[in-house]
Amino acid sequence: MNDPFLLFDLLLASAVIALAVATLSVRDLFASIVLFVIFGLLSALAWVRLSAPDVALAEAAIGTGVTGALLLKTLHHMRFVTGRLGQDAAESVTPAQPVPAPVIWANAALCGLITLGLAMAFFAAPQAGPGFEALVTDAMPESGVTHPVTAVLLNFRSYDTLMEVVVLLAAVIAVWQIERGLSEAPAPALGEIWHGFARLTLPAIVVVGTYLLWKGSEAPGGAFQSGAVLAAVGLLLLLSRNYVPRPAHRGLARWAFVLGTGVFAAIALLVAGGGREVFEYPAEHAYSLILLIEGLVTISIAVTLAALFHGREPVALAIEEKRHDT
Amino acid sequence: MTPDLIYGATGIAVFAIGLIGALCAQDRLRRVLALKLCSVGAGFILVVGAWRIPPADPDPVPHALVITGIVVMVSATAVALALIRRLHTLEAEDDD
Amino acid sequence: MTIDPITLAVFVPLFGAIAAFVFPRAAVWLGLGAVLATCATVLGLAREVLAAGEVVTPLGGWAPPLGISLRADGLSVAMLGMSAIVGLLVSFGALDALRDLRQRQYFWPLWLLLLTGMNGVYLSTDIFNLYVMIEVIALAAVGLTVLSGTKDAVRAGLEYMYASILGALLFLMGVGFVYLQLGRLDFAGLIAAEPSGALSAALALMVIGLLLKTALFPLHFWLPAAHANATAPASALLSGLVVKAALYIFLRLTTYMPLPDEILVTLIGALGAGAVLWGGVQALRAERLKLLVAWSTVTQIGLIFLAFARAGQVGLTESWKAAALLILAHGVAKSAMFLAAGRIKDEVGHDRIADLDKSDIRPTLAQFTFALAAISLIGLPPSLGFIGKWSLMEGAMAAGYWHWVAVTMIGTLMSVAYFSRVFAGFLRFDRMRGELAEHKGWALADIAPLTLAVAAISLGLMAAPILSFIELGYPFGELP
Repeated sequence: MNDPFLLFDLLLASAVIALAVATLSVRDLFASIVLFVIFGLLSALAWVRLSAPDVALAEAAIGTGVTGALLLKTLHHMRFVTGRLGQDAAESVTPAQPVPAPVIWANAALCGLITLGLAMAFFAAPQAGPGFEALVTDAMPESGVTHPVTAVLLNFRSYDTLMEVVVLLAAVIAVWQIERGLSEAPAPALGEIWHGFARLTLPAIVVVGTYLLWKGSEAPGGAFQSGAVLAAVGLLLLLSRNYVPRPAHRGLARWAFVLGTGVFAAIALLVAGGGREVFEYPAEHAYSLILLIEGLVTISIAVTLAALFHGREPVALAIEEKRHDT
Repeated sequence: MTPDLIYGATGIAVFAIGLIGALCAQDRLRRVLALKLCSVGAGFILVVGAWRIPPADPDPVPHALVITGIVVMVSATAVALALIRRLHTLEAEDDD
Repeated sequence: MTIDPITLAVFVPLFGAIAAFVFPRAAVWLGLGAVLATCATVLGLAREVLAAGEVVTPLGGWAPPLGISLRADGLSVAMLGMSAIVGLLVSFGALDALRDLRQRQYFWPLWLLLLTGMNGVYLSTDIFNLYVMIEVIALAAVGLTVLSGTKDAVRAGLEYMYASILGALLFLMGVGFVYLQLGRLDFAGLIAAEPSGALSAALALMVIGLLLKTALFPLHFWLPAAHANATAPASALLSGLVVKAALYIFLRLTTYMPLPDEILVTLIGALGAGAVLWGGVQALRAERLKLLVAWSTVTQIGLIFLAFARAGQVGLTESWKAAALLILAHGVAKSAMFLAAGRIKDEVGHDRIADLDKSDIRPTLAQFTFALAAISLIGLPPSLGFIGKWSLMEGAMAAGYWHWVAVTMIGTLMSVAYFSRVFAGFLRFDRMRGELAEHKGWALADIAPLTLAVAAISLGLMAAPILSFIELGYPFGELP
């Protein structure tokens, strides 16, 4: 009990667990989402404490910020659709189907078993066991950047990162496909005060986002965090109606979605040859190539996240609905 | 007691809470929240695994993995939510 | 710039998907071209594997455990080959089956992303990379499931999405525990690891996640609705190919980190037996053709796990071959069957089994295709399904595990019974000879499923070369 941080750790840990329980147990879905956002921010704080600032930034911006916005948008949509039909929209919005008791018990048994296994495995694992540190330290000089997490993401394990951007691309294609031109709830609009706020903050957010990207090569930050911050610009533009997606913008949007993935993959292939493998950036160009990839990936991430928030493909509604009926 | 043990146990608890929610929750939106809790739990385990007793630096590889996991999870969440919105619209139109 | 076919096997479908998405008007031709090009790269890779036994490429020049390398051996190329050939024929089938412009535009990018993910799984040697790949597969597969846009399809797609995310997260948690234990994530590290309780717990987590994704009884709840409500080409891809990716990872992992106890192998076998019996009962009760075919997938997945467990723990070094044969046989036959079922539904206008004979339209060739595919799924000689089932039972008999033989026999009888329900409808068509003369009974669109069905039968004659091919590079031996 002589570590001054111990009390802090214990308090934070119990708060995180309590918020997790509360998120799933409160009746009102709006409160549930708000609790989830607090939960996410406190988890990010815990990760700062565990010296993982990059992860904390990503969790706060994407895992909590963007996810929270997506959840709220969905809740708004559901309440709008249900409310329009004159039903009670205050409580849980999806119809509850009774689950048979044996299924519940089987589920509970499964959860218990898995948790028990997890706890046993965790406490049996070696404390501060082996890791990749030595390998990463040895390879850092050749990576082209000075921040280890960026080196891992964009050099040592860049294949994973490429596929992660592919997942994002798959998501936006699937979302556009799922939400075709059916009647939609209007996006929640911002009030007058927020309107002004949005105008004032937009430039600041752009600056912060670009700075995060720029610093990523030597300090915490990077494409994903900065992409999320820039996506916030998109969200504000959409909410403040400063930007309204139109069918004519679809082509450009498609290009923006694939820009990061396409260039990332193309560079990976183009650097191959002359004894170099795919993804093996020549040492003298590694820094500029990584910065180029990060920059373009950031644009794609920002546009994709904003599009995921907006949801359906901007199509001409009348025509779409007609085709849907036939 | 060290931070890694405390937060490791937190991660397992959060994962377990999410698991119960994912299997037992009736509400569609709440099941998405539960799955998101599971992913934060898994993130805790990797971040804890990367932690080293200061002044040693943490292992950067798991940090990169968690960032990847976060982006993957937001993609999956977005698709699940789009399905929920669409299904809700379809069901509401049927009720008319 | 020289690029190995092993990398192109992942990149070609990826670029195809990007092109098909950016140029929606040309999506069909770009997509077909990309699938053809993928077939060519797989062929090139097969030649390299035939010559060298295995092909390894460290991506970025970083060798594992720091980097990720791609590795191809006989088994991975067999899986790639199955995906490419089935994928190509389903693509041709999709040309006709998807008439809606919007469906067609979205089918191609999603299907090519699916192919990217599957090829990535078959070449991966890193468990975290496998996690990312199964998520690529999951999102693309859900997109394909709901392509038809009906309420049932969207509801099934949402259930599928929940199951997929949960499966992937259990897998990710397992990856985290492997890292805690070993400090590395590559296959070579898993092989070299000392067995321990904590490592087994990590493996168990990953296996539960994979069983959820591959829909082994009792975690199959999401599959029948998802596969039955998708459009025919999507169903063919989902049933024929997608569930195989998680199965493949299961085969790899359980051989690199052997199941620590005989009881667990028996448990896997018991779940497989449960799938065979329960799926059979449900298929007997199904009212719709596509639902029956979907339940047949549940039983076939069970059969593959039976093959895995056929000779207990000592037999694992050989049993994977029987499982692999059944995977290939099911992939080809089931995609043929779903395409044929889709054709029948398109022609007749419905797929209610009880009313199949009450139509004056008779899609003869599609019915014939359905029957051929059923022959392989039932396991009649000389089909590939027969060879797979035979090697399952042979191994079980040699090990004295007669209960697995009994389950396989019962499952076979049940499959005869439920497919006979469909055949009875086909054969009674003659009672309703209306203006049958006007109807040709076949269409160009029947070519793709027929080719697949014929392949499912005739590949049985090539079982010996297939078996020696999947052993190339000692898939389950030591990694260098």
